[in-house]
Amino acid sequence: MENEKKISKMKMSTQDAVWGYVFLSPWILGMVFFMGGPIIFSLILAFCKWDMITPINFVGMDNFVKMFSDMRFLHSMYNTFYYTIFSVPLGIIGSIMVALLMNQKWKSVRLLRTIYYLPSVTAGVASAIIWMWLLNPDFGLINYGLSILGIKGPQWMADEVWAKPAFIIMSLWGVGGNMIIYLAGLQGIPRQLYEAAEIDGAGMMQKFRYVTLPMLTPVIFFNLIMSIVWSFQIFTQVYVMTGGQGGPADSTLVMVLYIYQQAFKFHNMGYASAIAWVLFIIILLFTMLQFKISGGWVHYEGELKK
Amino acid sequence: MAKKMSFWESQKLQGQIVSWILYAIAWAGALIFVIPLVWMISTSLKAPGEIFTMPPKWIPYSELKLEYDTKITAHFPGKVKFEKDADGTERINLGGYSHVIPPIAQLQVRKNQNVEKGDILAVIPEKGRIKLIENPDKTSIIRIVNDEGMTIKEYNLSEDSKPVVKEGEMVTVGQKIANIMPQWSNYAKAWAPKAFDVTFNRFLVNTLIITLTSILGVLLSSTFVAYGFSRFKFPGRDPLFLVMVSTMMIPAQVTMIPTFMLFKYLGWIDTFWPLIIPTFFGGGAFNIFLMRQFFMTIPYELDDAAKIDGCNYFQIFWTILLPLVKPAMATTAIFGFVYNWNDFMNPLIYLNSTSNYTLALGLQTFTTMYGTDYNLMMAASTIVLLPILLIFFFGQRFFIEGVATSGLKG
Repeated sequence: MENEKKISKMKMSTQDAVWGYVFLSPWILGMVFFMGGPIIFSLILAFCKWDMITPINFVGMDNFVKMFSDMRFLHSMYNTFYYTIFSVPLGIIGSIMVALLMNQKWKSVRLLRTIYYLPSVTAGVASAIIWMWLLNPDFGLINYGLSILGIKGPQWMADEVWAKPAFIIMSLWGVGGNMIIYLAGLQGIPRQLYEAAEIDGAGMMQKFRYVTLPMLTPVIFFNLIMSIVWSFQIFTQVYVMTGGQGGPADSTLVMVLYIYQQAFKFHNMGYASAIAWVLFIIILLFTMLQFKISGGWVHYEGELKK
Repeated sequence: MAKKMSFWESQKLQGQIVSWILYAIAWAGALIFVIPLVWMISTSLKAPGEIFTMPPKWIPYSELKLEYDTKITAHFPGKVKFEKDADGTERINLGGYSHVIPPIAQLQVRKNQNVEKGDILAVIPEKGRIKLIENPDKTSIIRIVNDEGMTIKEYNLSEDSKPVVKEGEMVTVGQKIANIMPQWSNYAKAWAPKAFDVTFNRFLVNTLIITLTSILGVLLSSTFVAYGFSRFKFPGRDPLFLVMVSTMMIPAQVTMIPTFMLFKYLGWIDTFWPLIIPTFFGGGAFNIFLMRQFFMTIPYELDDAAKIDGCNYFQIFWTILLPLVKPAMATTAIFGFVYNWNDFMNPLIYLNSTSNYTLALGLQTFTTMYGTDYNLMMAASTIVLLPILLIFFFGQRFFIEGVATSGLKG
């Protein structure tokens, strides 16, 4: 009897394992064809020169050497960094502030949340077109609003200096997207902590600094990583608003747009792959860096259930 | 004895004031956030003359008043010289400035006459009679003519604008002659621009095909795979899960080119397949993750009970667990809809013929053609955004719950 139980238990666990893999199989297949395989091939391509017509030509480090003396590439890196450095922190601060506001107990808070979240759902071509019109130097609402305050608005998309800030402002319109995440985070902070702080005589600002903020740090951490990953990949708005050019004068040529141009306009498949890999490595380094310094500022309460 | 706080110092009042200030700020912010969308709709209903106004016009309604210069005055002093353009337009040239003299104007000066700046060169009658002409395409023309039937001034009206004067009526400069109503016809014009042989109909159909099929693929495969990750113990399960989660951080550009090559090799470029097939292989790490989290909230006893009843693993998946994760599936479906509807880069890479374009791609293509017809551009954008907005309003709950779940557990 004992033996039979043992045998059937053994059968169960191997059966378990086999079936586990069966259900995982679509994903595994997908990984091979659409992720693993392509990643390996693109890595190889990065060391080659290929225009899709003539055979693939191995050139070693040529692409990487060319990259770092390519003014357009360096410019695209600068543009992408510029955009990320401003839009990510501003976005996170904005999202948290809006989340704090939306966490109040007003009756109309549901409607308010909807309004703030709405723009992030409209992301894409339509929203880029709306902003093109809003940022029109002569008739756009933005410059009109500035003129009411007595400021003469810049030429925005037609101005080398102001085109990137235009995209940063656009990105702030979407803070509602992350607001939801921070709202959920805020609502997960135990009341007792606030009550304990109040007993100790904490005012509003102190409650925020010593209870809210520390408890939010895990959410901020995750959000920071994903925001950086996403903002490095900005493409659609730039393509739509600059006609795929990244102008004026390459001032909005972001890395992904440059990759797109190299691959699908100039057919430099190898070079484009090399740039894509550099982009990947940059993102990876940023992510690893954040994990390293996270111990210094991220505060985990109790155990994190994985 | 405890010190009594004065009315103004009481914490409660301070709290109330702060709350009211925050309330005002919240609404002010909400107003600002909504303005772009309101502006989009407002502009979409404007007639061409209403778009480029300063200060900006919010309500797409205006009154058309009869307006033209009744006097043509000299900009510079000089000797009157008459010129005729290649197309017959008569002009008087003074000091290098060429004054146009329309046929209807009555000259007040002779050839070689010396004039000062501001002298009247010609006059145009202040009054005229209305002639209304309706075009076959429902647009119309309001023409103001003099007694001989010569045109003093002419206005082209769209099908939405309504004249307020009658045929033959005598009108004076400054008089209102038409109401420029909200131009709903802009939407028809934006939907089917004459320069193209495809319309938004095509784009809509294409987008629906791609979107709905993708949603199906994602729902089927992400639940399938998530079931595997959550209900089975097998070697390598946790490392594989970690691998899956980390793929969320890989920029699409790394796999973009080889994937494109793969589809080129298969001959699938300019078809919908590259946009649909990958969704049947897991449907993306984000969705698998979401589903797996949801599965884990369902007690294992249900599976055990089913096993005792003789169900195989597939039956447990399909008949018992799947119905229980409907909310998560709704969330996934909604996110999938928005993602595919708005997706620009993938259709841009894989679709070449205009007749295969999705809404996002079509919208971008059309707008490069509209030039400065911002009213048409806004109408087209509204058309593309509308379904998303509707889905958002009715499915809000799913958006919010889905984002919250994924954002926290990460």
